[in-house]
Amino acid sequence: MPVEIPKDKWPGSVRKVTLGATTAEGGTRGKTVTVGGESSLPFLHFESETPCRPAVAIEIRDRRPDDWSPLLIETWEEVIDDPAKWAKAAEEAGADLIQLTLSLTDKNGNPNTPEAAVANVKAVLAATSLPLIVFGPGQAEMDNALIVPVAEAAKGERLLLGICEDKNYRTIVATAMANGHLVNARTPMDVNLAKQLNILISDMGLPTDRIIMDPTTGALGYGIEYGFSVMERLRLAALQGDAMTQSPMLVTPGFEAWKTKESKVGDGVPEAWGDWLKRAIHWETLTAMTLLESGADILVLRHPESVRRVKAAIEELMTPA
Amino acid sequence: MALSGIQIYKLLPQTNCKECGFPTCLAFAMKLAAKQVELSACPYVSEESKAQLAESAAPPIRLVTLKSDGYEVKAGNEVVLFRHEKTFYNKPGLFVKIDDLQSPEEIKDAIAKADAYQVNYVGIGLGVDGFAVEAASGEAGKFGAAVQAVRSASKRPLILVGSDAAVLEAGLKVLTGETVMIYAADANNWEAMTHLAKQHKAVLAVSAPDVESMAALTEKVKEKGVEDLALAVDGGNLSKMLALSTQIRRLALKKNFRPLGYPTIVFPKNPEAAAQAIVKYAGFIVLDHFAPELVYPLLVLRQNIYTDPQKPIQVQPGVYEINNPQPNSPVLVTTNFSITYFSVANEVEGSGLPAWLTVCDAEGMSVLTAWAAGKFDAERIAKAIKTFSVADKVERKRVVLPGHVAVLSGELEEELPGWEIRVGPREAVDLPKFMKEAL
Amino acid sequence: MAEHLVYFDALTEPVRVPTGTLLAEAARMAGLEIGQPCGGQGRCGRCTVQVLEGNVRRRSTLRLSAEDVAQGFALACQTVVEGDCRVSIPPQEKIERRLTTDRTVSEITVPPGYNYELDQTIHRVHLSLSPPSLEDQTDDLSRLLTALKQQAGFTSVSTPLPILRKLGEALRAGDWNVTAILDVHDLFDGRYIEERLVDLLPGRVPQEEPIWGAAIDIGTTTVTVWLVNLLTGQVEAQASEYNGQIARGEDVISRIVYASKNGGAAEMRNLVLDTINQLLATVCQRYNVRKKDWESKASPEQIVKATIAGNSTMMHLFLGIPASSIRLSPYITAVNHVPLLSGQEVGLNINPLGIVDCLPGVASYVGSDITAGVLASGMDDTNRLTLFMDVGTNGEIVLGSNDWLVACACSAGPAFEGAGVYCGMRATRGAIEEVWINGETYEPTYRVIGGGKPSGICGSGLISLLAEMFMTGVIDKAGNLNTQLGINRIREGEYGLEYVIAWGEETQTGKDITITHVDIDNLLRAKGAIYAGYSVLADSVGVPLEMIEQMLIGGSFGKYINVEKAIQIGLLPDMPWEKFQFLGNTSVRGAYYALLDHRARARIKEIATRMTYIELSADNSFYEAFMSALFLPHTDLNRFPSIAQALKSPASAG
Repeated sequence: MPVEIPKDKWPGSVRKVTLGATTAEGGTRGKTVTVGGESSLPFLHFESETPCRPAVAIEIRDRRPDDWSPLLIETWEEVIDDPAKWAKAAEEAGADLIQLTLSLTDKNGNPNTPEAAVANVKAVLAATSLPLIVFGPGQAEMDNALIVPVAEAAKGERLLLGICEDKNYRTIVATAMANGHLVNARTPMDVNLAKQLNILISDMGLPTDRIIMDPTTGALGYGIEYGFSVMERLRLAALQGDAMTQSPMLVTPGFEAWKTKESKVGDGVPEAWGDWLKRAIHWETLTAMTLLESGADILVLRHPESVRRVKAAIEELMTPA
Repeated sequence: MALSGIQIYKLLPQTNCKECGFPTCLAFAMKLAAKQVELSACPYVSEESKAQLAESAAPPIRLVTLKSDGYEVKAGNEVVLFRHEKTFYNKPGLFVKIDDLQSPEEIKDAIAKADAYQVNYVGIGLGVDGFAVEAASGEAGKFGAAVQAVRSASKRPLILVGSDAAVLEAGLKVLTGETVMIYAADANNWEAMTHLAKQHKAVLAVSAPDVESMAALTEKVKEKGVEDLALAVDGGNLSKMLALSTQIRRLALKKNFRPLGYPTIVFPKNPEAAAQAIVKYAGFIVLDHFAPELVYPLLVLRQNIYTDPQKPIQVQPGVYEINNPQPNSPVLVTTNFSITYFSVANEVEGSGLPAWLTVCDAEGMSVLTAWAAGKFDAERIAKAIKTFSVADKVERKRVVLPGHVAVLSGELEEELPGWEIRVGPREAVDLPKFMKEAL
Repeated sequence: MAEHLVYFDALTEPVRVPTGTLLAEAARMAGLEIGQPCGGQGRCGRCTVQVLEGNVRRRSTLRLSAEDVAQGFALACQTVVEGDCRVSIPPQEKIERRLTTDRTVSEITVPPGYNYELDQTIHRVHLSLSPPSLEDQTDDLSRLLTALKQQAGFTSVSTPLPILRKLGEALRAGDWNVTAILDVHDLFDGRYIEERLVDLLPGRVPQEEPIWGAAIDIGTTTVTVWLVNLLTGQVEAQASEYNGQIARGEDVISRIVYASKNGGAAEMRNLVLDTINQLLATVCQRYNVRKKDWESKASPEQIVKATIAGNSTMMHLFLGIPASSIRLSPYITAVNHVPLLSGQEVGLNINPLGIVDCLPGVASYVGSDITAGVLASGMDDTNRLTLFMDVGTNGEIVLGSNDWLVACACSAGPAFEGAGVYCGMRATRGAIEEVWINGETYEPTYRVIGGGKPSGICGSGLISLLAEMFMTGVIDKAGNLNTQLGINRIREGEYGLEYVIAWGEETQTGKDITITHVDIDNLLRAKGAIYAGYSVLADSVGVPLEMIEQMLIGGSFGKYINVEKAIQIGLLPDMPWEKFQFLGNTSVRGAYYALLDHRARARIKEIATRMTYIELSADNSFYEAFMSALFLPHTDLNRFPSIAQALKSPASAG
């Protein structure tokens, strides 16, 4: 029976955005990573080609993260006190990108300083050839205080800088513009807010191919359906030609999944939850998988086994049947 | 095509007689458009209008139900490609497969364990929906015994898996008075399978390598009188499954293509494939083994994806610990509307300052809406503080109210003797500053 | 350099100016003042003059149509003299009416064909009674009733106790000539006619003596009273004041909560009664000041009928009816159709037996302010698809035509009435009603109602200000003040960041007039709620906004609304300007029509019966729409193509 497959012809597409710059391009990276470029919903190869593979980043910290799950601490134990070694290990674990989060305080509880931040970023850049994502601690004043000197010190590297939010976008956008970096525009799970921040940032004059959208998400069981639908809607809007939603999307399933009780805790939980380690990795992997299906372009993960599984799934999804 | 409220209104008598229970014909029409009321409530609608309205109401994806003693698993009746457009209605049934190569005792043990499995997620008890029994031995006797063993250990609906109608029949004979699914009819065996399904009033899964041959096959089966079908989406490569599921769903919804207007059934080969099946349109999902650490996240994912996005999303009321709060950390109060909760939690988290965030049950409304509707008053806040034993967690008893409900501070003082009531900022974004300077 | 003579028609002598002089400058040299509220940037169009003859060059014709130019109109600030010419300066009023962007409140006119005899429920009749005697021992009342029947045809008149008390004296004081005032109401759709005696005045009151009525709108924020002569239908005086209940909460919910507490209900009732009674005194006083010497004075006690419109909460609180159920699901009022009451029962200082007619509402959040508004707008009687919105504290929105009507309500807050804003005020003397900001210096100029020093800013001024701040980049699209402009008008104030509109030395109070970031947020929310309200309403019945044929706007922002600026901020949808009409306070206008004509009153009831109320909070769609409208002009700029265009070419935007 002849069946005409309904194919959507979209007027718009996701913008291609390149992270990192090689020596020839004014940076020091061994290679760059380009994401985006989709002109259909995720992985529908019968409709159009998916030009770029979604990238997996591994999150590292500038110091031992005391509040992380013991399962993660155990996994990274050998490198956890040295961000440069950690970055190297992450690269070996298969990461396409390194995501370094700067902490609010150092290991003695003193506030982080611009000098320390710059030193750590430089060390990480020296230890790995991958493009780098740098996030501040997530507190407006501190983010500005740390990210601006980092941006200046790493001028030309096309770092992806965060956290850029609607109440605090001007400083970080200005420094990204001045130093040739990208910004990660983060909004709390809302289609409109995501779009609005993109507009505000573009209005300042940052070229749109230097913006990544971070629509945030909840972990599996903690609001993932909300993030899922927000991302689907953003992607649909992008395909329909809305320029202000055409940035590639970054999400942090590692951060979200590993703060849930299911992943973080092994003792005193219901028996029905099953084996701790397997469960925790399922939690992170399935959170990532769900977001991948709704249009994620960059997934920031924490556990190497999740990275392996998510990359395998991406490989399969990128292979047309 | 679904009709809009105004289009339906044009088909109604427009007399505003109120006999349907709504104040105006337009109000009734809008309820009809939202499928929240039956047309029969209108005593005066013309036959002609009835016919027109019935046509627009026919579901593009047939509802298929598996039944056994006391259990039902439904799939189909979906109306959207994306959950945000309306909602996904019938959660895909989660089945666990077992084969007849094991002894009946082994089967009973395994099934009993999975059958008894129950996990609590936000107050809801979740478990597997049924079992698939595979005729791996190829022997009717063994298969019949295996089905018998499964049925003795669980009353949940079953899917019988095999390619030989004669063998499957041995299983069906064991089961009476229930609706089973037979998996699967293909180009070779379809006539025997269809006959079997018809005889036993079973749902028949149809398997074919592509949409064309699948559509051709469902038409043939339907001609023979079996209409409750499921479409087998082969568990090969992830991208192939995604393409196939998407094409079937689109054809059914956008083209109203009846030959593919049935729910699908998937046998995912790994957890990633199972997750994809949940978010991308599967009607039945059959896992190849039972493991609580996998079944739990899959059940949660299914629950999440199938929540109605039109309803405000709620978070679980309770005390949320932010940045390792200590006995001297402040108690913040907010409602259980997810967006409200997330904006407050994110701001406090970002501030690095510790707090006990107490989320009250305000029926999923934001602070102002809940207050306006009487769902967020001093009584409810006090009840939350007491129910969650917040007093046991803190030494310094002080609670911070959202600025929008400053008016409640007096009453709350009466409700919570011994507590210091503070009024915080109106907007979450101002919380860090407030916590730093005023607390 | 060549010099030319410019003749202004207001002056006898011409003024001599060099080539290239602006007409505005020439006028100044001639000693004439031409208002240039936008600072001579050619944006506001308020310096329009007419060049009757001679040679001029127009640098810009923005704000002028081709037809205008053909007729010689020119902007004085953008037009240079290149030869001798003759120029006429039209009065400001005339200019305003020409501006395509402005919608001035439609004038109040007596409904055409108003006929007191046929339309009014109030009747005044003169009766001559035969005096009693020892032979004719009929009691006073029977005597009166007989006269009413025989001389005026009233057969079943009810006579309340206060009438019985004054009966004997009234009859005798007028020597058995008496003037009776009756109210004849058709109850239960014609099945029962009620004839009620409202007042009895000794002697023959002259034919032309006014019969007083009042149309009253009880708004959450503003209360308005019109004094009406029922004989002619003429509105003789108007007055408005903030609702005294404001002190107990800005929105209806706070009021309900307050009223449900001990003694709160009585206090709320008294507060609004005080406001209305004060306004009743004010309108009478305003009439008395204006009236001719030989005309009698008006006083509130002479008012024999009052129609009242208001949202359901206001109506409940005004009548002292518990309102708690209005705010609690499933949101049910105690009463939508209030029976006829008297001044005494209700507590109004009108004639104690004066009829108090509370107009019927539809639901908890769609009261008689909106049914009256629909009547005033006439949308229930047209086949053009109409959107009517009452931009008040509760934004009420109605969509439809004579075929169907759907309504919704959204909480906009009082910002557009000038309340709840740091320097906000009602649209009265001293209020800034329009603002322009220079796109390069960010310096504002403004216009004040009454022309003196400003003491605050009213709703239309706030709309104008927000639009100008946005179009010039003083705020970004999210409403954040741009601190990087380096101007002293943007500063950290007591309530955070703010922009100074007028320095203390320019103002009446001596204090700076500012708009704070909290005010900006409030305005964004208000306009966002209204935009979301009508877009979701239209969506819920499947009508695209473009299909709407006319947009009728009610509200108390001022005497006019600048449509262009209201579109720039995304309060009004981006549509051709001619689709918009500004009706001012439609609630009181509807009450006025109902006061005059019993058929109009019946139409309000009919409107209330056939209007379908849509509850916006039933699902997420309102929240979604609201979030996307919390941006300037809107998150989806495609909905505002004209603004997108203006933002691309800053010259035209200023």
